[in-house]
Amino acid sequence: MSILGPTLTRRDFVKVGGVLVVSASIPAPAKAAAGADAATHTLDASKLASWLELHADGSIVARTGKTETGTASTAFYAQAVAEELDVDPMKVSVIGGHTDETPDGGYSAGFLGGVNNLKKVAAYTRQALLGLAAERLKVPVASLTVANGVVSGGGKSVSYADLVKGQQLSLAIPVTGRLARIDPKDPIGITDLMGIIVTGEPPMKPTEKYKAVGLSHPRPTVADIVMGKPVYSGDVKVPGMLHARMVRPATLGSTLIAAGKIDKAKFPTAEVVVQKNLVAVVSPNEWEAVSAARAVAAVTKWTEWSGLPGSGNLTSNLRSQKFEDVGRRGDLGKADAALGKAARTVAATFEQPYVRHAPMGAFVATADVKADGAITLWSQSSQAQGARAHIAHIMSVPVEKVVIRWAQGPGQYGRTTYGGDGAMADAAILSKLVGKPVRVQWTLTEDLAWSSTSPGWVADVKIGLDAKNNMVAFKSDWYSPHENDARMIGAVLAGMPEISPKTKPFYPAISTVWAYDKVPAVVESAFGVPNLAHDSANGGLRGNIMRTPWQRQQNFALEAAVEQAASVAKADPIEYRVRHTTDKRLIEILNETSQAAGWKSRPSPSPEARKAGTTPVRGRGVGVVIRSGAQWVGIAEVEVTPDTGVVKVLSFTTGVDVGKVMNPRHLKSNMEGGTVMGLGEALFEEVTFDQSKVTSTDWTKYRIPSMGDAPLVKTVFTSRDGRGINGGGEAANTVSANAVAAAFFDATGVQPKRIPLTPAYVKSILMA
Amino acid sequence: MPSYTLTVNGKSQTVNAAADTPLIYVLRNDLNLTATRLGCGLSQCGACAVLADGREIRSCTTTVARVAGKKIHTIEGLPGLWAAKTGKPLTPETVHPVQQAWIDEQVPQCGYCQSGMMIAAVDLLDQNPKPSVQQIRAAFTNTPPSPHLCRCGTYTGIVAAVQRASKAIAG
Ligand code: FES
Ligand code: FES
Repeated sequence: MSILGPTLTRRDFVKVGGVLVVSASIPAPAKAAAGADAATHTLDASKLASWLELHADGSIVARTGKTETGTASTAFYAQAVAEELDVDPMKVSVIGGHTDETPDGGYSAGFLGGVNNLKKVAAYTRQALLGLAAERLKVPVASLTVANGVVSGGGKSVSYADLVKGQQLSLAIPVTGRLARIDPKDPIGITDLMGIIVTGEPPMKPTEKYKAVGLSHPRPTVADIVMGKPVYSGDVKVPGMLHARMVRPATLGSTLIAAGKIDKAKFPTAEVVVQKNLVAVVSPNEWEAVSAARAVAAVTKWTEWSGLPGSGNLTSNLRSQKFEDVGRRGDLGKADAALGKAARTVAATFEQPYVRHAPMGAFVATADVKADGAITLWSQSSQAQGARAHIAHIMSVPVEKVVIRWAQGPGQYGRTTYGGDGAMADAAILSKLVGKPVRVQWTLTEDLAWSSTSPGWVADVKIGLDAKNNMVAFKSDWYSPHENDARMIGAVLAGMPEISPKTKPFYPAISTVWAYDKVPAVVESAFGVPNLAHDSANGGLRGNIMRTPWQRQQNFALEAAVEQAASVAKADPIEYRVRHTTDKRLIEILNETSQAAGWKSRPSPSPEARKAGTTPVRGRGVGVVIRSGAQWVGIAEVEVTPDTGVVKVLSFTTGVDVGKVMNPRHLKSNMEGGTVMGLGEALFEEVTFDQSKVTSTDWTKYRIPSMGDAPLVKTVFTSRDGRGINGGGEAANTVSANAVAAAFFDATGVQPKRIPLTPAYVKSILMA
Repeated sequence: MPSYTLTVNGKSQTVNAAADTPLIYVLRNDLNLTATRLGCGLSQCGACAVLADGREIRSCTTTVARVAGKKIHTIEGLPGLWAAKTGKPLTPETVHPVQQAWIDEQVPQCGYCQSGMMIAAVDLLDQNPKPSVQQIRAAFTNTPPSPHLCRCGTYTGIVAAVQRASKAIAG
């Protein structure tokens, strides 16, 4: 029988492990799916068994290479599978990430793409099950309905569980693409990061008919986290494993002269392990590893190096570099001509220093490298198949020899999107050297100095206004070191084969989504350079993507410039934005969010604006971004004390139109959390460095928002059918920095040209 | 290595550890209580918080020698703490109202900070069973040695969960 491409065959009665299932044979928590191949440790994505298990008790196990990063994607996946199969989402559990237990690989970022695979697999399965039910009930498929996993028609009914009892459903799933692999020609060095994509168009439910999608379904692992179950990558314990702490070079560019020795009287079971510039201390006792590593670090000798500009000189250094064009959108000639004819122009330069992901837990990984080259690696990487390919590459073993066991970690906010970064390379290299499983735990100081960063940038923006001060031309030139360095620092230090170093910039490209479509002439250009100090021994300051990459930074300059144009036009900033767009959804969410925030229409700066004094002055501001098909609005109310330079965010309202809301509670949580993260960039965050090393290496030096720094966030959203399902996990951090900067302008009459709004910077611009 | 007798989650346990070993390593490695998470290791974030005689301490910088003789509670021990407080039997279903509130409000995103957050909540509600929003925010921000940090930014959810737990405890 053929149903929409996949074929359904009935097999003989299958009974394995006492459980009768439609596809795979082992109930969750499973060892391996039925499609698993013991020799390759890879599932066959064209087999249903690799994706879904329908158990005789009505429970369903879904498998995806995507991982949970904290945005509740596992809740959404369960809901989507439940929706297409018409079952209770509580019956669906999700296995994510493990490279030997999941079929498709892929990014954790963009769950919308991720969920499509499972949605389609569920839809194909539904069709197959309806076929079985039609035979069983002797009624045509068209007359069947499904509710709660029970198929009914012609006055009779049968549950999925009864349908599959004693049978094996062999369904071919049409797929395209392949798992991530190393490609020296690829600009990142790793390609096929999307993984395997399920193709075809099985009949799927229209969003208006959704029942499971749209519920505040609890995220599967939340209860385990709260009850303290060992669910994190750092909780992994492998028998016989050693604990390791790394001894990092004295500067970003130092090489090893001599590693310190262990004082065996003090640390009897610790050992120093060295490969080229990779130095570590291992011990069966974690505290001994910590203490001995500190002692060894104190006497390890490194070459001296300096080659960084110092963070205080970042902008002038960037200005002095020779940038290459890396992307342009729009017509430069047309924009220049329109600027030339404009009644007046508004021009400004905006900038931001390096910032970083800064998770609450430093990198951790455990590796077990066997004598035959087989590698098992326990990791929190959000791109497990990419990590697998990368580890295979640096360890010079076939990819089939590597298994990544995924476990949740502290939020990574994008830094493992290309698979690598962090402790994985350290752990694999050390395990091979010592012949035992090794758990590598980075320290916070090490993480804030040696993990990859989101590079600083400078943007020159020019807006042309007509006689009525409406925008008629927009031009921006955005300069930044590239943010696609996927190398693992451990592999670089140890001199292992690595993916090609990024001496050529290929990103940043233009990532803004232009909201103001009534502006007739727009051109946006991006220019790139390699990492700062890229030619030093250890690769310099490695740039990497971070939550809402490129767009977060570019949108800041764009919105800040629009803010300036609105003030020149003496227009209310929201009214001015609305004036320049035909995007009805944007206008709608702007109205709803401004209403919720109690926005009163008037131009900025506020009539009370003041740039001196010891008493605080208030202001409000707005920021807008369109990302992954969703319209976001942030509205901040701030208080500035001019003489101290202290900025406090009093209230924040975040609104979004994602179309259909999949899970209201988790959308709200993502909106709140993203907003707070953006407030960090607005107020505090800056990676500082001197000529040789990063200096912002603890939470007092790299400040992130505390509860008291962030207001309770008010959220505004409504589920709307007919607008698709769009991204709600990521972009809140983009609007908060813009809204705060605009509110600062409203309060003081001085527009910030830089974030973070630290007291020193604020005082410097208010006194100018 | 010296040996120490600790009372952890109501159970007396003896461990061998160097005197300067921070409690967190003993909890996670010797006693297999991994709910206590290593964050900064510097008393700057609160991820490692546990209760010692009912008050929050940072297990990343408190040595095992300093807590010998004290009653330690970790997240794993909160159900037992609640059972003891209410005089009800401890069953596998027992959940501390703070934990229940965290589940009901679905507070965790990555969740890494949340063990410490719940410990801070238990400590706060013990001292102030009906805290105002301002008092909750102050407790998580100003209690020494550092604010409780959450990079995922779940602060709004935490305040809601503390309020919910407060109501549940009041009955
Ligand atoms: S880990 Fe102890 S306070 Fe951060
Ligand atoms: S939930 Fe991720 S750090 Fe708090």
